[in-house]
Amino acid sequence: MSAGPRSVVVVGGGSVAWIAALALRRTFRHLPLDVTVLDTGPDATGPRVHWTLPSQRGAHAQLGVGEGEFLRATGATFRLASEHTGWQGGERRYVHAHGEIGTPIDVTPFYKWIVERTLAGKTERAEDWSIAALAARNGRFAQPMGAEKELTASFTYGFHVDERAYATFLRSAADRGGVRRIVGTLADVQRAADGRVETLRLADGGQVSADFFVDASGAGALLMSRVDDTPRLDWRRWFPCDRAIAGLAPGEVDPAAMTRTLAGDNGWSWRVPLMGATAVGGYHASAFGGDDALRAGLERVAPGLRDVAVVPVTAGRRQKFWVNNCVALGAAAVELEPLAGAHLHLAQLGLAAFMELFPLDSHPAAEAAEYDAQMAAYADRLRDFTLAHYRAGPRRPGAFWDAVHAEPLPDSLAAKLDPWRASGRLTIADFETFEETDWAWLLIGAGDRPQALELRVADEVRKLLPVEAESLRQTIARLASSMPRHGDFLRRLHAR
Amino acid sequence: MNSAPPLRLVIVGGGTAGWMTAAAFAATLRPDQCEVRLIESSEIGIVGVGEATLPHIRFFNRRIGIDERELMAHTHATFKLGIEFVNWARLGDSYIHPFGAYGTRAGGVSFHNFWLRRRRAGDTTPIEDYSLPIVASRRNRFSLPSEDTTSLSSTFGYAFQFDASLYAQYLRGFAEQRGVKRTDAKVVDVALRGEDGFIESIKLDSGETVAGDLFIDCSGFRGLLIEQALKTGYDEWTRWLPCDRAVAMPCENAGPLTPYTRATAREAGWQWRIPLQHRTGNGYVYSSKFISDDEAGAKLSSRLDGKALADPRFLRFTAGRRRKTWNRNCVAIGLAGGFLEPLESTSIHLIQVAITTLIDYVTPGRAFDPRTVEAFNRWIEMEYDRVRDFLILHYHATERDDAPLWNYCRTMDIPDSLKHKMELFRRRAQVVQYKDGLFLEPSWLAVYFGQRVMPDGYDPRADATPRPDLDGWMTTMRDRIDTAVNQMPDHETFLAQYCPSGARA
Repeated sequence: MSAGPRSVVVVGGGSVAWIAALALRRTFRHLPLDVTVLDTGPDATGPRVHWTLPSQRGAHAQLGVGEGEFLRATGATFRLASEHTGWQGGERRYVHAHGEIGTPIDVTPFYKWIVERTLAGKTERAEDWSIAALAARNGRFAQPMGAEKELTASFTYGFHVDERAYATFLRSAADRGGVRRIVGTLADVQRAADGRVETLRLADGGQVSADFFVDASGAGALLMSRVDDTPRLDWRRWFPCDRAIAGLAPGEVDPAAMTRTLAGDNGWSWRVPLMGATAVGGYHASAFGGDDALRAGLERVAPGLRDVAVVPVTAGRRQKFWVNNCVALGAAAVELEPLAGAHLHLAQLGLAAFMELFPLDSHPAAEAAEYDAQMAAYADRLRDFTLAHYRAGPRRPGAFWDAVHAEPLPDSLAAKLDPWRASGRLTIADFETFEETDWAWLLIGAGDRPQALELRVADEVRKLLPVEAESLRQTIARLASSMPRHGDFLRRLHAR
Repeated sequence: MNSAPPLRLVIVGGGTAGWMTAAAFAATLRPDQCEVRLIESSEIGIVGVGEATLPHIRFFNRRIGIDERELMAHTHATFKLGIEFVNWARLGDSYIHPFGAYGTRAGGVSFHNFWLRRRRAGDTTPIEDYSLPIVASRRNRFSLPSEDTTSLSSTFGYAFQFDASLYAQYLRGFAEQRGVKRTDAKVVDVALRGEDGFIESIKLDSGETVAGDLFIDCSGFRGLLIEQALKTGYDEWTRWLPCDRAVAMPCENAGPLTPYTRATAREAGWQWRIPLQHRTGNGYVYSSKFISDDEAGAKLSSRLDGKALADPRFLRFTAGRRRKTWNRNCVAIGLAGGFLEPLESTSIHLIQVAITTLIDYVTPGRAFDPRTVEAFNRWIEMEYDRVRDFLILHYHATERDDAPLWNYCRTMDIPDSLKHKMELFRRRAQVVQYKDGLFLEPSWLAVYFGQRVMPDGYDPRADATPRPDLDGWMTTMRDRIDTAVNQMPDHETFLAQYCPSGARA
């Protein structure tokens, strides 16, 4: 019916490219739309593994991919939470789980009760009020169940998955779904007089033409870098880490369904359980230490490390995400350390926005403007949440951390933290990936303490009787400890 | 943290804004946390004309513990399912902006895209037929929404149309019972603190001096504290919303009590009609550039349903917003904070947003943290700006060329934010989405379609459903709405048994 694109070429070979291609193919299968991936191979500078948000489950549903099939094919594990250690100095550690903290007191979120208790001088940890957090820390896992308001349904989960295994798995799903694949290296881009891309020329002399192009080639932005010379917005002043290292260590028998991060002198490291292996890695600022020290540090915490690679990273984002007939997805659009586990999520937000704005003709300028505005907002909000890990709570000492803290916060993050610090109030803006509860996990966990609590809220939470609180705590602990071991759960799943 | 002395809250001005503020603070905070005083002068009239509200008022009522039936009986209220707009795109046109969505989403695609697909194929069924509150409005039916959220009869909201002076009176009783101290006096002087320019106290014509920690300016357009004392400044929006006067005149009821407000576009503005149980509120909002006061008054009195019940009352205003709603230790609520014409019944809503946000921001001893103040102001600004764009759309998206006002509005330059929204809708029926702010997708759709902004395209994902399935789904939806509405009682009958005027609950 429309004069929209009849062919789309997705450039890239990583999971983002395959997700985009298959989603486009499935969503518009009623249209005469041909979807081709120009497979430029794995994204060498992208994340080695992903720790994903629960939204990845929705993505799989959209792609027609079964969860068991996915887990068995990729050796992925479940993820209930992250545990962050040392970000505020010393051994302080806290959990950010994919689940509720307690249950609302009438209509007031339970985390306000924790704030109130903290202000009264009591020690309360958010994780003691979350099934997901307790299960994650104790190596347990089960899927949520029961009616919406029940405690057993008060959490959700994401995954840990190896990027290459995931890309391979998605590639075969895309192949079955009718996505065409051309393997090649992009050599040149042929554009029409109006700037639209017409044809991609390949290094082997071949070429591929299409009406529309998606650049999912990773931070190198193979296509977008040739059609858009608007300077990238540089985020390095907030995120000074410019090296990423990753490798594989022997697996654990009984891994926790949890991502671990550890703040270090010159950056931070992470640890992710996979079936049969543990992936470890880190982000590091070269101005504060060399690559050798980085590698040695990682080998100390993960003996038997293999497949180690160090790649450069540059935090920042594009200003334009949609130019003429090209859009950028994933790291081609936004490069940000995946501390919050939202790397794939952000790519999917872009994909969803693109499909909602899918061109109806050959001059989609209004769509491009809307897309740019939405993507900029999504990216900036995610930057803020990621940055809050560094900036919330007491400061970790050291030259790297002094430099991190010396940089003024983005206005939007200050606008978030100021009301919190004044009165425990959290306001969630449009286009935020993370919700009120996520911010509460992070800020309470980091020990970022409000000076006071809103009067009305303080009154509300005091209605919770100590005996009721104790009963809730016990119920949550009992439910968490009744879950199977995560390792057993995975082994049973793989035996099926 | 309980040892802090109570916050001394001083409200200047009664009326809807003043008494809503007093009632909300008194109901929400304890006397040892907050002492509320309200200063009003019985010599100064209040603006409170008949008021139409939005469904959000029910959250406010529930939060402070107001009994809805008692309130409705006291204020001679009727129910409201939406607003009928007459003559806006063309003379003779009528559409309803309902409190509820059109149809249901399918596969992540909004319903109107499916409607547009069938329309393009020649189907002429109006989109109104897929809205339960519109169909009910057209038939003058009403019943409360079902509490079963899976039921079709739960998919709409409702608000009230009531006598705003009686609303203020009702809230006064409510507030005084909860310890609010009212003083009948005029403010003659405002004393500012030397060091920071905060308001220290106000002096009354009785000779009394009233000190306070936080002052709420509900004094109306003139902004006795926020403007006259603190010189806060005002952003004017007359270039987009040229109406600057109104004349109000109640009349006797005639014909059935409609469960909706009516806004009829006129030669130099628009006329409201708000049916209450005992009378109908009417008014003409106009631009003084295009019509004189006398003529506007004469036009209004010649266009009433029934016999006039009072002399015309004239009001003046300037569309816009105070530069800071909260400045130093003064918060401007109601007309003192800004004015947007009541075309979409937003006046009480904007009051409510300011009050509930403010209560949440009050902390012991830290009510004036500049970071809190800034966050509050940003929030209120966003609410105003988004309502502003929505109102401008009503004036701008018109084909009318029969009067200078409409020629001006049709051809005026509009804010870029609205331009972009309209372009995206014209191209592909897409409503620019946001989470916060008042008017969401169904509201924008009602006004776009109602004002004849017809899109060239729609979401291509709506083409995925096979046509026979789509036809069956949409026909069933329409039939179910028709059946559900026929089972609803007549609005007037429902009111008579639910909350007759003057009855005590």
